[in-house]
Amino acid sequence: MSSILNAENITVEFGGLVAVNDVSFDIPEKGIVSLIGPNGAGKTTFFNILTGLYKPTSGHVMYDGQEITALVPHKIAAAGVARTFQNIRLFGSMTAEENVMVAMHSHLKASLATTILGLPSQRREERAAHEEARALLEFVGIGKTAGEFARNLSYGDQRRLEVARALALRPKVLLLDEPTAGMNPQESSVFVDFVHRIRDEKGISILLIEHDMAVVMKVSERITVLDRGEKIAEGSPAEIKANPRVIEAYLGKGVGAGH
Amino acid sequence: MANKSYKARQVRRAIFERTFGIAILAMLSFWLIVNLIKAPSQFAEVTLIGLSNGVLYALIALGYTLVYGIIELINFAHGDLFMLGGLFSAHFIALWFHQTKSSPMGWLVFFLALISVMVFCAGVNVFIERFAYRRLRRAPKLAPLITAVGVSFMIQFVGLRWNGSGQKTWNSVLPHGSVMLGSVKLPYTTLISFAVTIPILIALTFIVTKTRQGKAMRATAQDQDASRLMGINVNGTIAFTFALGGALAGVAGLLFQQTRGLTSYNLGYQLGLIAFTSAVLGGIGNLQGAVLGAILIGLIQGLNDGLPIGLGQQWSQTVVFSILILLMVFKPAGLLGKQVTEKV
Amino acid sequence: MAISFLKRGEKKQKQSASARKWAVSLTLVALAIWAFFTYLFDKTPDAVQSWFQVWLPPSTINESLVWVICALGLNIVVGYAGLLDLGFVAFWAFGGYTAGWFMSGFFHQVNIHFGSMSAKVIPGIHLSFWLVMIIAALIAGFFGIIIGAPTLRLKSDYLALVTLGFGEIIPQVFTNGENIGGFNLSNGTKGISPIDAIGVFGKRLGPFDLGWKFLIYFFLAACMVFVSLRIRGGRLGRAWLAIREDELAASMMGVPLMRTKLTAYAVGAFSGGIGGAVYATHVNGIFAERFNFSISIILLAMVVLGGMGNVWGVIIGALLMAWINATGLPAIGDTFNNTFHTAINFPSYNFLLFGGILVLMMLFKRDGILPEARLKMISHENDDEAANTGGH
Repeated sequence: MSSILNAENITVEFGGLVAVNDVSFDIPEKGIVSLIGPNGAGKTTFFNILTGLYKPTSGHVMYDGQEITALVPHKIAAAGVARTFQNIRLFGSMTAEENVMVAMHSHLKASLATTILGLPSQRREERAAHEEARALLEFVGIGKTAGEFARNLSYGDQRRLEVARALALRPKVLLLDEPTAGMNPQESSVFVDFVHRIRDEKGISILLIEHDMAVVMKVSERITVLDRGEKIAEGSPAEIKANPRVIEAYLGKGVGAGH
Repeated sequence: MANKSYKARQVRRAIFERTFGIAILAMLSFWLIVNLIKAPSQFAEVTLIGLSNGVLYALIALGYTLVYGIIELINFAHGDLFMLGGLFSAHFIALWFHQTKSSPMGWLVFFLALISVMVFCAGVNVFIERFAYRRLRRAPKLAPLITAVGVSFMIQFVGLRWNGSGQKTWNSVLPHGSVMLGSVKLPYTTLISFAVTIPILIALTFIVTKTRQGKAMRATAQDQDASRLMGINVNGTIAFTFALGGALAGVAGLLFQQTRGLTSYNLGYQLGLIAFTSAVLGGIGNLQGAVLGAILIGLIQGLNDGLPIGLGQQWSQTVVFSILILLMVFKPAGLLGKQVTEKV
Repeated sequence: MAISFLKRGEKKQKQSASARKWAVSLTLVALAIWAFFTYLFDKTPDAVQSWFQVWLPPSTINESLVWVICALGLNIVVGYAGLLDLGFVAFWAFGGYTAGWFMSGFFHQVNIHFGSMSAKVIPGIHLSFWLVMIIAALIAGFFGIIIGAPTLRLKSDYLALVTLGFGEIIPQVFTNGENIGGFNLSNGTKGISPIDAIGVFGKRLGPFDLGWKFLIYFFLAACMVFVSLRIRGGRLGRAWLAIREDELAASMMGVPLMRTKLTAYAVGAFSGGIGGAVYATHVNGIFAERFNFSISIILLAMVVLGGMGNVWGVIIGALLMAWINATGLPAIGDTFNNTFHTAINFPSYNFLLFGGILVLMMLFKRDGILPEARLKMISHENDDEAANTGGH
């Protein structure tokens, strides 16, 4: 299977601290993969490299055949790399629908002039955008909240809204940063199905950072494990579960049988 | 590969900045040398004036940098506090204690004024923080900035009532006259400015680096929440910082009023921005930087205003603000500051 | 799905119906005011006339409209995009001097007339007011882009300082502008006066045709409102609001930050240019000392008072504050002093008033007097409970 996103030999140094050390990683096309590791392993830093927020000290990132390492975040987003945030970062003072429509900015064509004059092409485009936004809200299951301010939505709905917004970028890759934080097992299970639906119905490749092992095991086709900035294991859920280095990274040395 | 080109871009940018910086320094040096050759004693005198201004700016700049360091707020109203200090000193010395010339009593009152103005301005600053800024500590950035502008206007109003809409002149208790260094006049007032400021700066350094309060300040500046968790009284520490800044502004106000003999309601606005530029030049948040930046700005301004080949006083603001703008665009970290990136 | 579409359609209709309601009523009010001042005023009894002269002189109404135009411009920069601009006065100055250059005898060395109301024999450049307004907008907009391009990427506090710097430098350039390398840019402190009359449909509107000028100023303000609302309802407006709220998230959703901020800044600058040109025709001249920092602050206070981002609130805030500054304070002062036999100088309290408004609004009513519902939430979500629990 070819990969849609390919990070090669990424190293990230902040001053003297090496946050990510020579990590290579790819997301297979239409695949669902996870990135796990104890806190401080460098997962979010790595995420930020993929989306262009940080530039790596060395290494490069290829997306859909083109090099995106040096691009600014909004260009990477516009090219089709979408993400959600660990701490929800919605535009609280805008409605759910408007939040989704913000992410359509890069494919809408209206200019300052056509907007002010209200030309038919602009009006048509706006109508279509509204419809697409509503459709996405329906897809993630919060269609009824379209006109509500994002700030007023429940936590679960806000998480879904973040996904809807990310999907509005018409991405080929979706990066989810701890999407099940704060969810109970029931909700997480529903979420796993949801992830599959996104991949199956929209053909989008998905990368998750996750702490909830149940979710990780259920949803991932492949898991990569980072510890202290280095890749220490990669493989299927079964392989990772049994990998002693992974267990050690999470639980520490000598804990296996003791507790 | 693009990563190389990104690196290459960064290297090119660094080279460009370095060349630009060197070019500017070269031009400045050339300008200075020409003036020095043309009129050496004027050059020396103007330099002294610039230095004595710089020392005043340093006191005010420190207030800006202390507050910015701890709560990331540009306290717009800080310069006006300096103006208020000047007004207070003028009234204290000349009107309440009737001292209008140099004498032993004059010296005594001067020192009393020094202490009083520090207490007064510290108090005002703490009051402002408590009632205008504290509530807005976690509000979106625009809010405390706008509030600070509002407070600035309100303090200027006080200045208007107290001092009228024009300038007032006062007789000083500091000795007139000067010491001659060769053919250069070194006024006593300049010497006194240095004599007052330097110990205060030393005391400030001591407070910030060696005392518990100082440590609390530095911790809070780094991470408010963590400090709170460590048991540091964050509110009190911030109040203390404002008190320190206020006291410094008060001293500057006293010195200005006594060495220049003037008060005016809008002095704070003008000089405040110059002092802020100094703080940025030195690296906002950095105490030594504030002093360094202030001396440099004082020199540049003095040289621009007073040298035979210079733009002259009517372009003073433009020169200083252009420096501010260039700094912020090209080197916001200033001379001694550190670059900080936002963590997502 | 069909039901939700209906609901949305209804909501949109309600919104445009409400906007239309405001527009229609304001236009009717404007026409009434115009008709009154142009045709009826001189026929009213002296007592009525003098009441108006004290409390609501036509010149104040016109001046207030100029402030409205500029405040709406600043509203786009500060209210929509969230960029704290403390140097808006620079654009006002550019607009004003453009009028000075192209609508007066300033450049007496040449004689260019185009669409102007002035006699052909008068030397200088005399262009039609409408043309000059566009030129003023373009010049101010151009400088907005030059200033904005290197600086808009700065953090909000640094940006505020830089814009403040420009707000100081530009007026100083004009104040010293009598001799810049031998060239007279601005007549320095003497200023440029008089400014030509405005020509519209063959009518010649001089400094005393306040009634007709009112209509023109109203028309321009209405254009500003229209433009603001149209942009806000489209993708650019959404991008601005997103940037105001969380610029990092906005960029990760494909919004190009620099370009979008620059557009907001340029549109604001445009309006400042228009406002400046209009002001020059109102005051019949352009004088350097009028351009100072307090203008930028008054505009900011208007936007803050009205509720940042809320066009209608900003209009009310602007009208109110312009009136207070020009007429209200003196009139209230005189009445108070006459009633209570005091001699308080009320106009000198304007610093306290504007400063106080800024502080009180930020502390207690950050959403403005007509809160835009959206802003209400975002301003208060983090209200500092820590202030009461922090420390011990």
